[in-house]
Amino acid sequence: MKKQITLTVNGVKRELFVSPNELLLNVLRDQLGLTGAKYGCGIGECGSCTVLLDGEPSLACLTLAIAVDGSEVTTIEGLQSRDGKLHPLQDSFLEHGAVQCGFCTPGMILTGKVLLDENPRPTEEEIRAYIRGNLCRCTGYTQIVQAIQDASVKGKA
Amino acid sequence: MEKPQYHAIGKKSIRKDGVAKVTGQEIYTTDIVLPRMLHARVLRSSFPHASIKSIDTREAEKLGALCITSKDVPDLKYAERIVTIPSKTFKDRQVLTNTPRHVGEAIAAVAAETEELAEQAIGLIRVEYEKLQAVFDPFEAMKEGTPLLHHTILFGQEEIQVMNNIAASREIVEGDIKKGFNEAEIILEETFETGRVYHAQMEPKSVVCQPEADGGITVWTTTQTIHNVRQLLGEIFRIPLSKVNVKKIALGGSFGSSIQMNSVVPIGVALALKARRPVKLILTREEDMHDHCKYPSWIRLKLGVQKDGKLTAGHMRVVVDIGAHNTQAYPLLGCMAGWWVSLYKLPHLKFEGQAVYTNKVPACAMQGFGNPQVTFAVESMIDMVAEMLEMDPIDLRLKNYVGLGETFWGQGPTVKSIIRSCGVEEMLRKGAELVGWKEKFNSEKTGGIIRRGIGVARGFHTSGAGAPMAGEVIDYSGSIVKINEDGSVDFLTALMDLGGGTLDALAKIVAEEMKVPLDKVGISPADTRSTVYDVCTHATRGIYCGGGALHKVTGQAKAKLLEFASKILQVPPQALKIEVDEEAGQGMVYVEGVPGKRISVGEVAKTAQINNWGTIAAVDSLRQVSCPPCFMAYFIEVEVNTETGVIKPTRALAYADVGQVVNPDLARGQLFGGLYRGLGYALLEDTQYDEESGELTSGGWMTDFKMLTANDLPEMDNIEVHFTDTYEPTGPFGAKGIGEAALNPVAAALANAVYNAIGVRFRKIPITPEDVLGALRGEKKRNG
Ligand code: FES
Ligand code: FES
Repeated sequence: MKKQITLTVNGVKRELFVSPNELLLNVLRDQLGLTGAKYGCGIGECGSCTVLLDGEPSLACLTLAIAVDGSEVTTIEGLQSRDGKLHPLQDSFLEHGAVQCGFCTPGMILTGKVLLDENPRPTEEEIRAYIRGNLCRCTGYTQIVQAIQDASVKGKA
Repeated sequence: MEKPQYHAIGKKSIRKDGVAKVTGQEIYTTDIVLPRMLHARVLRSSFPHASIKSIDTREAEKLGALCITSKDVPDLKYAERIVTIPSKTFKDRQVLTNTPRHVGEAIAAVAAETEELAEQAIGLIRVEYEKLQAVFDPFEAMKEGTPLLHHTILFGQEEIQVMNNIAASREIVEGDIKKGFNEAEIILEETFETGRVYHAQMEPKSVVCQPEADGGITVWTTTQTIHNVRQLLGEIFRIPLSKVNVKKIALGGSFGSSIQMNSVVPIGVALALKARRPVKLILTREEDMHDHCKYPSWIRLKLGVQKDGKLTAGHMRVVVDIGAHNTQAYPLLGCMAGWWVSLYKLPHLKFEGQAVYTNKVPACAMQGFGNPQVTFAVESMIDMVAEMLEMDPIDLRLKNYVGLGETFWGQGPTVKSIIRSCGVEEMLRKGAELVGWKEKFNSEKTGGIIRRGIGVARGFHTSGAGAPMAGEVIDYSGSIVKINEDGSVDFLTALMDLGGGTLDALAKIVAEEMKVPLDKVGISPADTRSTVYDVCTHATRGIYCGGGALHKVTGQAKAKLLEFASKILQVPPQALKIEVDEEAGQGMVYVEGVPGKRISVGEVAKTAQINNWGTIAAVDSLRQVSCPPCFMAYFIEVEVNTETGVIKPTRALAYADVGQVVNPDLARGQLFGGLYRGLGYALLEDTQYDEESGELTSGGWMTDFKMLTANDLPEMDNIEVHFTDTYEPTGPFGAKGIGEAALNPVAAALANAVYNAIGVRFRKIPITPEDVLGALRGEKKRNG
């Protein structure tokens, strides 16, 4: 039996019908066409599916949609400002060559954003520890860490 | 030589697909959704070797699922990788098999309205297996009397018998090793082993297939080569190529995992053709890990050397455990010989290689194609020789390396060419200076729990696989270039960008040659119908071969542009020059010294259109005949904890010879990435098997496969990257490749650093903490 839930996705209220076992990742990708959250493993190993749930980085592949009824969801598609301007972290990723294949990028940027929201001046060690659940096979992380640090208050100082 | 001034080449730029990638708009195969699309799942063997007695899909069909087994797919053997010429290609694969040869091999597939339903249907298929004896060790597999995995396979069109599970073997001799070893004053012989690494590209292998009304098929898939996928599908399903269209789409990493046609592709096509509806098939991560891995290696290396450090002879014996299928083992062995002999001059040499079937996941190329394996052995051994000779390991390398003007054959004995650019000396000497090599290397390693050490290793990869002679491997690229009516330029190429920024480099080559601003060069969406052939993005060939072809075609379009401009300006084309005007956002054609005779590229193109002269465009192909080596050296520093056995890489200096750098920050990215995967190769990554069940002990989970994370790497300020001042005369604007070179020497540099720190020589990677502790307890020290 499908149930109705309400999610505020990237600022827009959505009424959705979901099965009790339906994963948030599939609801976002299949029902809402928000394919920025990626399927990389489906079991919480890689972080490609990271979205923000009420501001917290969460793995959409491990989250039942029904369990987060009423939440605010931010996906990578919702990070730009309304006029289309990129978030400073998005700019910084581009600037630092922190994007290669791009498959980990949405999850990595969202995780990085929360880190900077919580801790505007993270040390390198703090950045590395914070993103360690987000796997990137391409970059070796160096330019990602640089991009996050450069977008932080510390990076600007 | 005075370096030319470029406006695009070597300049930092934001990658053209960057905004799409940071905003989640980039579409990958896994993101494609089509109307009426079905979802597919695959039933896989739970045994490492079995014969299927019966398979009953009736219950699954009752659910409304469409099922296929080996009876429903074309009955033929094929090779997944078709870059070798057809007469030299070994074929042992089937779309679905009734003799699974490894745990996880596909035996049936279903398509249903939802993934969930498909999964349920898979669970209802009943299979009766007859278990066959499995073999997991390649030496065991080669023994007389061990049951065969494959009795017969195809070699070209010819059916051949497989003897002792040997899938391919090669012997290559130059000179007379007996004589060479007689001339040696010191002879050293050692055995090295490397692991069976999983690619772990972030996007699981996937396919979406759409059957067309005309009997054709359109395919989106994770691949490094759209044209080879098209040709294979045409061959397997007997569809004319004009009706098989493979679309180019962003790829979520590859590292070799999609160098061949992925096994999901023909399964998806078979389902779609039968269902007459689009089908999507995405592997789970567990399935993906059961699909392919890196070639592991066993290498026995014997070197003869004189007291002055000159190498006199070498003998290398190689056994590669290729798993259940032969993906491209014959060329692999040729390349392994080639990587070896192209590192150091060996007047007399012999190479003997064997690729052996076992009941494991099939091995295939993974960043290096045998090169990291060979380089680990050779560069470890060079350090051992240097120590015996009491020579600095850098001096020994400089004394023997194959360099400028010399012949090399990295891609195997049929791919010989001359080195025309070489930064080896610069990278070793300057690198040593920058890291303070002498002092650190020779410093007394005192006691204490933490021991520090430094190591160096060098290596190379070829840029492509082409040489003057045609050889066994196909290597050429083609492009289409067209100038639009506003002076912007489109180019079409089948060459894939695996994430490294190859297509940005290509855009820069067009911008530079045509003298238009980089933002006026567009990379066109492409598919097999709209492009000419490109072999594959592999062998570090993207910029050099793909870019070389594009450079040539751009030149042809430019000639046409100048011809039209000459009509307009009323001067002969050879009197015309072209330059970029960034302010006008245009290329400008002009006559030097004659004011007023100046017109933008856009005006030329527009005038040509208005006057019905035609579109300014060109199409052509090019085979590069040199495949120049891009050289690489790493200096790595480590801390070894003698209580926990943990090796921590603390510092690294990468020095690369890529010729002219085209994309500076993306080239740096290749080095950072290569270092990371190389360290994982050296320290952690391997897939292991339960010898009873034949299953992966990781179960296909990445967490249990274990990879380095952001936490385990040297800090950003402790990784330095440098490029040599070199120019490759045969490359587009002096460029050569970088991709695979960036990884090849890492493991050896790390092992050499560990030796420097604790005096234990590891001949096997990954070097785990248990290995370190075991070795320290056993006091197996100093070349012991
Ligand atoms: S897809 Fe969710 S963690 Fe990998
Ligand atoms: S950029 Fe490819 S996985 Fe991170």
